[in-house]
Order: sequence, then C-alpha cells, then structure tokens
Amino acid sequence: MTDPTTDDPGPDDARALAGELALRVLSPDEERAARARERSDPAFAAEVEAWNTHLAAFAAEVRGVEPSPLVWPRIQAAIEPAANDNGRLGFWRGWAIGSTGLLAASLVAVAVLIARPAPVPEPAPAPAGGITRVATLTLSEGGAPAVTIAYDTVTGNLFIAPTTAIAASAGVPHLWLVRPEGGVQLIGAIDGAEASRRTLSEALSGQAGTATAVAISLEAPGTTPPPTEPQGPVVASGELQQL
Amino acid sequence: MAAMLTRDELAGALVQAGQGDRSAFRIVYEATSAKLLGVCLRILPDRQTAEDVLQDTYLTVWRKAESFDPSRASPITWLVTIARNRSIDRLRSAAPMRRAVPVEDAHDLADDAALASETIEQADEVGRLNTCLEQLEDKARGVIRTAFLEGVTYDALAQRENVPLGTMKSWIRRGLMRLRSCLET
Repeated sequence: MTDPTTDDPGPDDARALAGELALRVLSPDEERAARARERSDPAFAAEVEAWNTHLAAFAAEVRGVEPSPLVWPRIQAAIEPAANDNGRLGFWRGWAIGSTGLLAASLVAVAVLIARPAPVPEPAPAPAGGITRVATLTLSEGGAPAVTIAYDTVTGNLFIAPTTAIAASAGVPHLWLVRPEGGVQLIGAIDGAEASRRTLSEALSGQAGTATAVAISLEAPGTTPPPTEPQGPVVASGELQQL
Repeated sequence: MAAMLTRDELAGALVQAGQGDRSAFRIVYEATSAKLLGVCLRILPDRQTAEDVLQDTYLTVWRKAESFDPSRASPITWLVTIARNRSIDRLRSAAPMRRAVPVEDAHDLADDAALASETIEQADEVGRLNTCLEQLEDKARGVIRTAFLEGVTYDALAQRENVPLGTMKSWIRRGLMRLRSCLET
C-alpha cells in the first residue's frame, strides 16, 4: 500500500515498514521478517530507532502508577554483585542474571564445581535432538548489529557471520560464551570481516548448548587471553536463543 | 516518591548504571518505574503480569544500560521503548485473552489523561508529536495512538474498527508517513 503521490516508493516503503515495526502492528510473520532486516540493515535499524523516539512521546499521556514495594527488592536481588564492581565484571554479571530462572541453575553449577574440581567440569547436557541456537551480537557502542552466529548443538558446528566489520585495527576479535552461572569461556579468535565456520570441541560444545549469551572482545594482536577472562574491551554481545 | 530529575540527570544516572553503578540504577528506577508501570498496564490485562514485566524490563535495562547513548536517545524514550516492547512480547506470548473495547473508548481514556509531561522533560517531543497528530485525519490519529498505547496489531485494530485489514493498513501507513514528514520539518 504505497502512497500514490510518491514517485519512488522504495525508501518510503522502508520508512513506513520501520514505523510499523516500531509501532508493533505487524503480524508475527511480518514482524519476524522486519526484525531480521533490522538486524542486517543498519539504515533500516536507524529508521526504527527514529520511529521509537517519535512514538515514545505518546507515553506522555500515560499516568504513572507506583509499583508495589516488592518489585525493587526482587530486581535488587537479581543484580546483586558477586564481587567488586568494576565495569567489566558488571557487564558479565549483567548477562548472568538475564533470567531469574537462571539463579537455580547457577546453584546447581556451583555444586557441580565443588563436587568435581576437575579442570573441565562436565558440561551440562545440551537439549537433545538437534537444536539450533542463534544470536545477533550488537555493538556495545550504538547497538548496531555486528555479528550473527548460529550453533548446532548436535554437530557442534558454529557459523559466524559478521554483518559490519568490527574495528579490527584496535585488536583481534575473540568470541566468548557467557555461562548461565556467570563468567565466560573463550571460544577463540574469529574473523571479524568474513563469514566463517568451525566445529567446537566436546568440552566447548556442551557449554555452547547452555550459554545464555555470546560476546566479542578485542584482544591485543599476538596475545591469547586466559580462557575465562578477556583482557580487552567487550565490543559486542547478544543473547543466545533457540531457533 | 518519583524523584524529579531533569533529562540530563536521568541520562547521567543511566550511563552510570551501565558502568555497573547500582545506586545510580536505583535512582533510575525511582524516577521512572511509575511511568513504565503505567505503560505496561495499558498493554497488559492485570497488575501482577504488568509488575512481572516491569521487573523484567529493569533487568533488561540493567543489562543494556551500557549501550545507552545519551547523544542519540532520550533516556525516557529508551526506557519506554523497552517497557513497551517487553509488554507486547508478553501479551502476544500469552495466547488469546484481552478485552476488546472499541477504539472510541480508548480515546476517551486518552483524552482524560493529561498530555503534559509529568516528570522527566519530554516536552519538546510531546509538543511536536501533538502538533503533527493534529494534522492527521481523526481515524488515523486514533488508531495510531491505540496501537501505541495498547500494543495491538493491524488484525486486531481492523476487527475492532470493523474495517477490512487493507483499509486499516492504509490508514496507519499513510498516517505514519504524514506524521514523519511533519515531525522532521
């Protein structure tokens, strides 16, 4: 349904679609397609953001309603620090509390670590039956989509597709799994410009099946960070979801 | 309780929260949670669900505050967008439910409410939006507002207004495009 007064409906169509996406009027199928475009097309993503800004003004007419005093303590409990509070720890912790349900999982994980102080704890079983897990990593600065990954829990195949080149001059991009119990696990250096594919080792593939998120840090060229501790800045991250 | 903060103060607190500062995050919560719960309650059918989504919203905010860029977005806009999207996700994940009030009733609700910004400065955006909304046809204005405030799809809007889906799409699309060209002049 293009505006008949417009000679070139192309950009207008994109703009209207971005508006429909921001307004959330699309059907589930249309919305999925538009979200995919938002992730892969920065100009379109910027349109969606512009619409969000314009439309949010509608909220001015919404009357505020004080939440129950129980809400804040629940939030506070979920963001309690594990240790000290520098920015990087804050970041990882932030991911670790992504879902309150994960708290229980983290207790189990701690128990496993205590019971079996082996160097590589038995990975929690990934869902059986060939689950594909996907994530879109967005840049920490600006939130533009940077990398899409897809992971097959049965074969251990990991597909990594950068959508915008990660500032490679500042360092070598390294991919990390964010574990449900907190903390991170290094997968390795990745190609920040071209799509690539690798098969994860057995130890890693279990963790990739349960990780809550993935992140990319930029590490100094020629160095390899400790497997659980990035040394460089985290430049992109995204939640892992089941396809 | 809602602490009155200026836009810059709120943006500053949100940036600090992004660096892991929990007391700054608390300030963000105190200043904005009533507004965001109001947004959730317009979309979701009951208070318990809305407070659940509110909690979820602030955990998302805590997680994503690092990516908030005060030079690109107003803090309240950024927060409202997250609360609204979370609420709509919850609404749509929970099978069929929900009242089906005619859009007209929703207009009454909206018209009763003060259009003035209550807390955090948003006056510029609000003034601009309202000026531009006035230039739309009544129908388009009403359905776009309902879509925003209640988080309903084209399908639901067409049913409520008892018009074909294509008509509803046309109203909203044309309305959006007119709105946008007005907002950007």
